[in-house]
Amino acid sequence: MVNIVFKFFIAISCLLIFRGLLAEPLLDGADFDYGEYLSGQCLTCHQNSSDEGIPAINGAEALYIAKKLILYKNKELENEVMQLVAGALDKEQIASLAIYFNSLEK
Amino acid sequence: MNNLSRRSFVSFALASTSLLAMPAISTGSARPKVVVVGGGAGGATAARYIAKDSKGAIDVTLIEASKHYYTCFYSNLYLGGFRDYDSIGHSYDNLSANHGVNVVHDWAISVDSSARKVRLGSGATVSYDRLVLSPGIDIKYDSIDGYSVEAQTKMPHAWKSGTQVKVLRDQVLNMPKGGTFAMVPPPNPYRCPPGPYERISMVAHILKEKNPTAKIVVIDPKDKFSKQGLFMAGWEKHYPGMVEWIDNDTHGGIKNVNPETMEIETDLDTFKADVACVVPAQRAGAIAMNAGVTDGDWSPIVPASMQTKADSNIYVLGDASVASAMPKSGFSANSQAKVAANHIRGELTDSRVFPAKFSNTCWSLVATNDGIKVGANYKAGEEKIEVVDKFVSKTDEGNAKRKKTYEESIGWYNGITTDMFS
Ligand SMILES: Cc1cc2nc3c(=O)[nH]c(=O)nc-3n(C[C@H](O)[C@H](O)[C@H](O)COP(=O)(O)OP(=O)(O)OC[C@H]3O[C@@H](n4cnc5c(N)ncnc54)[C@H](O)[C@@H]3O)c2cc1C
Ligand code: HEC
Repeated sequence: MVNIVFKFFIAISCLLIFRGLLAEPLLDGADFDYGEYLSGQCLTCHQNSSDEGIPAINGAEALYIAKKLILYKNKELENEVMQLVAGALDKEQIASLAIYFNSLEK
Repeated sequence: MNNLSRRSFVSFALASTSLLAMPAISTGSARPKVVVVGGGAGGATAARYIAKDSKGAIDVTLIEASKHYYTCFYSNLYLGGFRDYDSIGHSYDNLSANHGVNVVHDWAISVDSSARKVRLGSGATVSYDRLVLSPGIDIKYDSIDGYSVEAQTKMPHAWKSGTQVKVLRDQVLNMPKGGTFAMVPPPNPYRCPPGPYERISMVAHILKEKNPTAKIVVIDPKDKFSKQGLFMAGWEKHYPGMVEWIDNDTHGGIKNVNPETMEIETDLDTFKADVACVVPAQRAGAIAMNAGVTDGDWSPIVPASMQTKADSNIYVLGDASVASAMPKSGFSANSQAKVAANHIRGELTDSRVFPAKFSNTCWSLVATNDGIKVGANYKAGEEKIEVVDKFVSKTDEGNAKRKKTYEESIGWYNGITTDMFS
């Protein structure tokens, strides 16, 4: 019983927190676990060690990442690799990736 | 919300969701076991991701014959003098220290798939719940008349991780003035489609500086090759008159090679070389054959998971698999490993399984600061891995762009080796 009350409490607080956090429409629908899975594709190129030729994005602001991805998706930023990568991402995937990379250590 | 409080809210929210999402690990029973054979682009990535993302819930053993992994990727840049040999070698220490992977340096000799056991060279056996095979390729020595294991010091293939590429570099550096370098690329399908042509570029790069009257002749068993227009334009630009590429249609087929006389005989002619790089046909590493998960030379897989069609407890990654539209590359193997890792975790710990997504980019260096690339996204079709979208460098894109592409490849090399070994 205590357990159920506790879980209920956690669930409600998560809901409230996420509503506040995700008031930013670009980050709507973000799913951390999904972001972790999707990040696998990016981590072949983007690591803290890749910075010499490919910018490190670990720990960057979530909004910054989301905005960049949208610019690549719309081909407003040049780079074939990133246009290809971002072109295949939908809004939920972009949001999920953005919050996941934000959580990684710089 | 200001930045600071947003940040702490995020971490609180994440901590609480992960509490809720934590899979039920039944206490008392042993942890599920995954054995990975081959610590290359596919295997090291798979072992690392399964161990890292399951946070200790899965017992991961990596069986790898060598203490150090020397990447084939960038071995051409070593050949061309752009990297030193040590810089392409990597150790497995972090996989055990940071993720608890049990790294065993031994050969996997055989797989008993009904008992779910792998036998090692030492005689020990290791049992598994899921087995991942990423053994790379074996060379089909008998696919070219006259070629053999012994022939490889005279006519190195240098197509597997290891020191053959050093032998080849020495031979190129010591070639007689005005001599001939011959290259016999492999027939399809083979590891790294642009690799032979990047190798030719790197040899030309050395010869241009050290032996400018030397010639390169490419005796190809194919009539076309990856990024052909880009490579040929690059050779004409940087090494005019040095490289002659002869397609199969023109020479009529390679009949045999003779490592004693350094001759390569085709229907059209017999070519005499001072240095020759001969790369025979290839097949999946022997352990995949032994496990009974191959059909012909390679292992057919289920695109959504990388499970073999023959045995759903066995996954095959990388060069050894039939990945259809995906080329046999380190990038592809690394990408497939993440799909398999996600699926295996799902099966063994009930973690969420997401739809398979694959990608690849292959960079090649044509000359100093002249990098080119080809890449694609893929999805799991019913039967095959299928292309979603792709790109390739353009012949007229300008020097600044080419330099940036080369720099990007350095970032990728550092990135993927971190992704495999950190
Ligand atoms: C010249 C050249 C250039 C290349 N350039 C690029 C490039 O720029 N980009 C790119 O993406 N790819 C490149 N590649 C291709 C890339 O190297 C391979 O596609 C990639 O290594 C395949 O990964 P894998 O996991 O299938 O096999 P590997 O990386 O070969 O790993 C297999 C491992 O398994 C071990 N092993 C095999 N059998 C056993 C056994 N029975 N027991 C224990 N251990 C075993 C081996 O020791 C080896 O370490 C290049 C290849 C070559 C030859
Ligand atoms: C094949 C290599 C590669 C892959 C895979 C890749 N990227 Fe990139 N990314 C690049 C390169 C190269 C750039 C820099 C482009 C430029 O500046 O021209 C870049 C730039 C970016 C930027 C902008 C960084 C900045 O500060 O300007 C973001 C954000 C980004 N990538 C996110 C991602 C995410 C998220 C993924 C996975 C879904 C991903 N990338 C996958 C190579 C890659």
